[in-house]
Amino acid sequence: MNPTSVIRIKSISALLVAMSGSLLTTGCASTGSPIVGSGPVTYGDAKAVESVTNEFGSTDLQTMAEAMTRSLIQSAVIARGNRPLITIAEVKNKTSEYIDTRSITDSIRAQMLKSGSVRFAVDTHAMQNQTDELIRQNQTGLYKKGTAKKIGGMEGADYRIEGNIASIVKLGSSVKDVYYKFSLMLVNVETGVIEWADEKDIRKTSSR
Amino acid sequence: MRSLSKVLALGGAVVLLTGCAGTMRSYDAELKQTVNHVATGNVAGALAELEKNNTGGAAGLGLGNSDKDLLYYLEKGELLRLGGQYEQSAAAWLSADQRVKEWEEIAKHSPGKLLGDLGSVIINDKARRYDGQDYEKVLLSTRLALNHIAMGKWGEARTEIKKTHEREAIIAELRSKEVEQATEEAKTRNVHTRYKDLQGYPVESLDDPEVTALKNGYQSAFSHYLAGFVYEALGEPSLAAPGYRKAIELRPNVRFLEEGLAGLDKRAHVGKRGHTDVLFVVESGSAPARQSVMIPLPVPYMAGGRGTVGVIPTSFPVIKSERAFMPSSITLDGKANLPLAPVTNVDAMARRALKDEMPGIILRTTVRAIAKSIAQKQAADRGGALAGLLVTIAAVATESADERVWRTLPAQISLGRALLPSGKHSMKLSGQAGEQQLEFEAQGKYTVIPVRLMGSHLYAMRPQSSVEMAAQATVEPPAKALPEAAAPVEEAPKPGARPVKSKKVRKGAIS
Repeated sequence: MNPTSVIRIKSISALLVAMSGSLLTTGCASTGSPIVGSGPVTYGDAKAVESVTNEFGSTDLQTMAEAMTRSLIQSAVIARGNRPLITIAEVKNKTSEYIDTRSITDSIRAQMLKSGSVRFAVDTHAMQNQTDELIRQNQTGLYKKGTAKKIGGMEGADYRIEGNIASIVKLGSSVKDVYYKFSLMLVNVETGVIEWADEKDIRKTSSR
Repeated sequence: MRSLSKVLALGGAVVLLTGCAGTMRSYDAELKQTVNHVATGNVAGALAELEKNNTGGAAGLGLGNSDKDLLYYLEKGELLRLGGQYEQSAAAWLSADQRVKEWEEIAKHSPGKLLGDLGSVIINDKARRYDGQDYEKVLLSTRLALNHIAMGKWGEARTEIKKTHEREAIIAELRSKEVEQATEEAKTRNVHTRYKDLQGYPVESLDDPEVTALKNGYQSAFSHYLAGFVYEALGEPSLAAPGYRKAIELRPNVRFLEEGLAGLDKRAHVGKRGHTDVLFVVESGSAPARQSVMIPLPVPYMAGGRGTVGVIPTSFPVIKSERAFMPSSITLDGKANLPLAPVTNVDAMARRALKDEMPGIILRTTVRAIAKSIAQKQAADRGGALAGLLVTIAAVATESADERVWRTLPAQISLGRALLPSGKHSMKLSGQAGEQQLEFEAQGKYTVIPVRLMGSHLYAMRPQSSVEMAAQATVEPPAKALPEAAAPVEEAPKPGARPVKSKKVRKGAIS
């Protein structure tokens, strides 16, 4: 190694040290997306605990969905590993609050599908789109014969998930107490046997 | 000369004190004309009247207002809806909604701004920006939902329905804060804010059992029942249930509302092919006016270092209800009698809103009266008896309670529901001017048929188009269907009405 190359290596390493130093001081923000506008809008963690009011909120939805998914995946029927076909029936809302129970079951379904341990059949809500598509492919004469999916090939679910959400609300002169109970069960469609059931309850108290 | 200028200056001060903008405008008188036009079926005349009162030209004379405010858009939307112009009506109401949203932002982030001027001396109630009564804000989104349904936009109706619940939550939060603050403020200022103490005030209008039975002044059984119906139509029974449940909570012991919830499961699972679930919304009359009534108020104030009591003429808003005629049933296709359930009384809601607002109004009026009495005293002391008299005249002339309310809203809302074979039908209902018949078409799985009785005129707001709901009829009904979904009508199959045969591709299904 000649002296000039030693000097070059030295200066390169010095340059690298200096660059990494400047990166450390400027932080990672400079590598993020540019910010448009300077309005009073901030982005937060979607998983952050929300305690704005004591109505049903995002944290309740996430907690219920996560707790149920965890419990469901560990149930004997699913842990067996034969990827059963499940459909989601309705989760009844027995509260006086406008709670979209479908968004809870959607979360459960997404998390379970990600785990790879189950398959899902379209539920009654999505059935119209499913039948519309099949009818369009088969009855309009617009599709190639070989590519049109046949009517009568849909798979029936082995199990269905159903449940309900109930609440008890108590109002004191200075306290509002809300108790939510979310119950879910897995029913064998053929036998009608309840293979798994679980509950998740949440209590929220706020001072008025 | 000097004393005259003093008098003028003082007079000017009093006018400023009471607030100039809008104080000379009598909303009640303006809207009386508009409502009269509507009662005779002259929607175009009513719209022209509204525009005339809200154009810049007359503003300077105190006859109109160039600043098109929330009320202008509320009234305009309703008139356009009566005229069947749903698109334009929705546009006007969305302008009103924008203003309500601005109010909501303030209510959410800095409620102090709305509550802060509670004890304000300078501002006359009438000169305050009109933010709308709480029940008006809620009914605005309900009526927007009705417009969207009429145009076949059920998804947008859902958005409006969701907005209704969120709006109610914001109002509930703000009002609880307001009550707390008004009580506190009245205590510190030593003002009695019971309307029962006002000599000559028509207390019975606010103590009516219909008014006291209401849970609050802004939630209506109609809004929540409609929410239930829209969610049900969109195949979301878990959201429809709380809608029907809330309606029952707000108006207990009404069989019609109870059936809405009880029959939900059955209706959700067993659709009836070739049939339409029709919700009849029968509205009648117009929301009551607020009028100003003069009441002398004994006001304690300090003068010359000692406490004294003066009697100051003050004005308070009163609501005089006009009983709107509401038929108890409608006749369908000349045969079946469908009973109508009175579910919402906007008249009582308006009175309830005023009842809840009264402590704040009394507090503001008393504080203003004290300021006026001091001005009178000072004028008399400095400018002599004439100046005192002039200031008194100015004070009386500018004293008038806030009369602004959404007048073209209906006074009563009744509902009826029937499962009818899809297709053309007729309905008959008896109004003040005898029996009136109109034709309508039941399209799709669900539809809403709103009608409005105004004076001798019957307005029918037929849907422009009906959308086949995606969620329903997902599964073929079993060959042996369960007993038909709750239909309170003794249904007579219409001759010629054919049930739809096997499922074929719908028109327009290919995009």
